[in-house]
Amino acid sequence: MERTQQDAGPGRKVFFRRKKSCPLTGTHAPKIDYKDIKLLSRFVSERGKILPSRITSVSHKKQRHLATAIKRARNLALLPFVTQ
Amino acid sequence: MPLYESTFIARQDMSRQDVTKLADSLSTIVEQGGGKVVKNEYWGLKSLAYRIQKHRKGHYAMLAIDAPPVAIKEMERNIRINEDIVRALTVRVDEIPEGPSAMMQQSRSDSYTPDVEVAADIIVADEPLS
Repeated sequence: MERTQQDAGPGRKVFFRRKKSCPLTGTHAPKIDYKDIKLLSRFVSERGKILPSRITSVSHKKQRHLATAIKRARNLALLPFVTQ
Repeated sequence: MPLYESTFIARQDMSRQDVTKLADSLSTIVEQGGGKVVKNEYWGLKSLAYRIQKHRKGHYAMLAIDAPPVAIKEMERNIRINEDIVRALTVRVDEIPEGPSAMMQQSRSDSYTPDVEVAADIIVADEPLS
């Protein structure tokens, strides 16, 4: 993702995209739990779809856990499958 | 013995006492199977995200259980038979966290709001008289 000055050819704009860190990793990160709707609803679109990790910058491993937690919450009617 | 969390949704037309009784009856089934209920939570009457068997609301309750798999199987069988239970989910967990779950902290504020509304109604009703 990160590009140095040498990579970009002449006349090309240099993009610096800082790598965002995963919001669910780290010592103070919240635990993924199917009961915590407040947390789960942050990773769900307005229509109720699970947001891709490239938008939320959740790590691959945590995204898997998150997906199961959201699906469990949906099963218990805590989160919607779809909102029209 | 493995740890489990069993959440179930009871029909909305039941009273809170009935739901507690239901949770107790499930607990006794677990205890008869040689397990024990570590935590017993009542999350309150919550509105469902979508309709289940034409229900729009339901009583949520959760049991945290330390029991052999046979006891869990027997409990799940009883859940399926019971018509008062609309939906149930039992999952194995690695540990049962201390204290009330995230849902209890949210539902506590939820369950207080109706009380405030009722109180407000009384005040409104009093005002025209004075």
